Amino acid sequence: MTAPGWLRWAWLAPAIFIVAFLLVPLASLLARVVTPETLDYVADPLPWRVAGLATAQALTSTALALVVGLPMANALTRYRLLGRRWVLALATVPFVLPTVVVALAFRALLGSSLGTGFVIVVLAHAYLNMAVVIRIVGARWSTIDPRIETAARTLGANRWVAFRTVTLPSLGPAIASAAAIVFVFSFTSLGIVLLLGDSSTRTLEALVLRQTSILLDFQGAAVSAAIQAVVVGSVLLWAAKQGASVASGGTRTFRLVQARGAARMAVAAVAMVAVLIVLAPVASLVWASVHSSSGWTAAWWSALFGSTTIDAGSTRIGSPLAAMGRSITFALITGLVAAVVGGLAAMSVLAHRLGRAFALATALPLGISAATLGLGTLLAYGRAPLDLRATGLLVPIAHALIAVPLVVAVATPTLRATDSRLVTVAATLGARPSRAWWTGYGPTLRTVMIAAGGLACAVSLGEFGAASFLARADGPTVPLVIARLLGRPGEASFGVAAAMAVVLVIMTTTLVAAVDRGGRRA
Amino acid sequence: MKRIPVVTTAALSVAALVLTACGSDSTSNSADATDSKDAASGPRTVQLLTHDSFALSEDVIAEFEESSGITLELVSGGDAGSMVAGAILAAGAPTADVIFGVDNTLVTRALEAEVFEPYTAADADALRPALADQTFEGRVTPIDFGDVCINIDDVWFEAAGITPPTTLDDLADPEYADLLVVQDPGTSSPGLAFLLSTVSRYDEGWTDYWQRLLDNGVKIAGSWSDAYYGDFTFGGGGDRPIVVSYATSPPAEIVYAEGEPPQAPSTSVMTDGCYRQIEYAGILAGTDEPEAAQQVIDWLLSPEVQADIPLNMFVFPARDGIALPEVFEEFAPQVDNAEQLPSDFIAQNVNDLLAEWGSVMGR
Repeated sequence: MTAPGWLRWAWLAPAIFIVAFLLVPLASLLARVVTPETLDYVADPLPWRVAGLATAQALTSTALALVVGLPMANALTRYRLLGRRWVLALATVPFVLPTVVVALAFRALLGSSLGTGFVIVVLAHAYLNMAVVIRIVGARWSTIDPRIETAARTLGANRWVAFRTVTLPSLGPAIASAAAIVFVFSFTSLGIVLLLGDSSTRTLEALVLRQTSILLDFQGAAVSAAIQAVVVGSVLLWAAKQGASVASGGTRTFRLVQARGAARMAVAAVAMVAVLIVLAPVASLVWASVHSSSGWTAAWWSALFGSTTIDAGSTRIGSPLAAMGRSITFALITGLVAAVVGGLAAMSVLAHRLGRAFALATALPLGISAATLGLGTLLAYGRAPLDLRATGLLVPIAHALIAVPLVVAVATPTLRATDSRLVTVAATLGARPSRAWWTGYGPTLRTVMIAAGGLACAVSLGEFGAASFLARADGPTVPLVIARLLGRPGEASFGVAAAMAVVLVIMTTTLVAAVDRGGRRA
Repeated sequence: MKRIPVVTTAALSVAALVLTACGSDSTSNSADATDSKDAASGPRTVQLLTHDSFALSEDVIAEFEESSGITLELVSGGDAGSMVAGAILAAGAPTADVIFGVDNTLVTRALEAEVFEPYTAADADALRPALADQTFEGRVTPIDFGDVCINIDDVWFEAAGITPPTTLDDLADPEYADLLVVQDPGTSSPGLAFLLSTVSRYDEGWTDYWQRLLDNGVKIAGSWSDAYYGDFTFGGGGDRPIVVSYATSPPAEIVYAEGEPPQAPSTSVMTDGCYRQIEYAGILAGTDEPEAAQQVIDWLLSPEVQADIPLNMFVFPARDGIALPEVFEEFAPQVDNAEQLPSDFIAQNVNDLLAEWGSVMGR
């Protein structure tokens, strides 16, 4: 491939970002914690047992998320459908709901009869992560020329054979990439596991938090965190290898297809099911936001927007409106930073022989627990000589760090599958390298960057763990406000928390729909 | 060579705009912070590291800032445990000047890590007698205390025609089978407090007690909110009328009710088997504002802040003779016989206690 000169240096930006905001904080933390005796903790059977449990749980969660997510990815990214963009945005909502909220919503929906344990945790993980499958696989699916499958069918292949022999091989890397990420999220899950899990669903992430903030056993925590990082790294390495074997395929995002006949019914049915699955828990939140023990009420909503704002004059909750503004600002910065850093990283992956190793490096944050990242960042950038807390940037930086691997995961398989011959053709026709490169990759790049940026915004809107360490006490984000409200008794606390959660759902849906709008236009 | 630089420039300028917009909401604080570095004699900034349950009235803080010339910057350290973990890791080169909210289950570990700069508050002799000797040789100052207690849904018990339980032993009585929900002590602060309460009460026999609770159908929730809003009959759609919560939950229920506050809460506190939590404040060793930090400690123990604490944090003031709000007087019992374990005992044994609890409960 004739890569333009600047592309060879594009890796510098993501590399500096990862070193500055991941490796430096990790090093500051490890320097304080790890001693020769830390090795003794490796012999402790507990973290290994937990790793085994978490693996079984995460594999099941991933399988379920794929089963639910793949039909949705197909229906929502390839076919013309009334309100498609909104359904697609809505399907992203579960991914960004604070886990506290999802747990309570599941509780309200399924009742306490289902109890806690393996089944409800796996259901919740599949619910949260189907957006990952839809986004990552959908981004690739929309760049596969539908005419190829049509051609296969014209040649006599039935629908399933055509899918299996034509479409599936092209989707392979994207599916592997999505599966790896869902596995990693389920393997490192914290909130869902704490709230809905039992002894069969423990994760290393939960163990790290317990060792850090209840036992203050930093050495044990370091070992647990290291095991988690190794497992996550191996899974991501596996996914990266799947990506290597891909043949180049489509060159651009294809127009949406008008489904006909039975297919049309199927597409509509899948979309309906998607809406139902997403909305059922959300509906229970809406219900809680307009109900009190004495019936219907508007009190919780007027506490958000009206004059009777909750806890007026106290620093406890802060203004809900200010929290919304803050969350949106953080989300936009996160989306921008993650799309630029992750986009450059994805391009570097294509341009370099060492690209795959580099892609893996940018995926590192996925394996680092929020407690580790939060404490490390605090040690590196939360005190003299370099105190970045007052700038308010630590939260979006941490969020971007968490989102960059997602951006790379969305962008790389699709970019890799982009036909590099277009670049050659453009170059042959006299275009300078940059121009030729842009002709080949520009349209795809734009589509994926926008989709990935939207996902990154969404991550930021719902993130809780890192923000709880890094936000200013008087500057909470929406998920922090919800958690603070849920941390105390009283009907108003719960009602306003439910209303805030509904606002978060609306914010996410609108943001993602707006971002997607640009994506298709490319 | 054109497109990408243009895109990048555009992206950067958008970022700059967003940053400016974002900065504007914290202008006053960061401006003050800069000033204090520039001019030593100018306004000083004290960073107060707190957990995410900290709250005071805005006007109380404003009054202090005005009279002292100190700008108070609140820094969140996550929940109480995470905050202490961060403080220990940063010991000697702290991320703030003053820390508030280290409780008696964690204070020993913080003391061992030499997190605190010794200081005795100006009004230390005004502390309640029970708390006066709880300063660990003048290294920390008790600011408030509260009790983790069993809460009862009175309405449920009245409707069911059953007398509510009154002692820890009652909870293991088959009459109250399948009615209790507690939090996992490995993930929840009140859950740990309740475990410590049973250890304090039953000594070696605490595992037998939990076995009895298990046989009696106790339910384990992951967090306070999951138990209170998910499982407790009062909080939401739950089916358990007995929950581990706080002695101040009934007044909080009234304060945070909808519209007109009800005459009386529909929940009450079982005063047996409560566990006492004390919250301390201290100066972080290595602060570059030691003198201003001392003023902040004095202020936290001042009558103004102490009187402001109950309705903001739903705990009791550590200072003697502070008038309590009416809802506290009426509905929050002051527990005289609360269980308590020495902080150093907890530091040494909490790991084993949790492991043993896990094996008894099969978790």
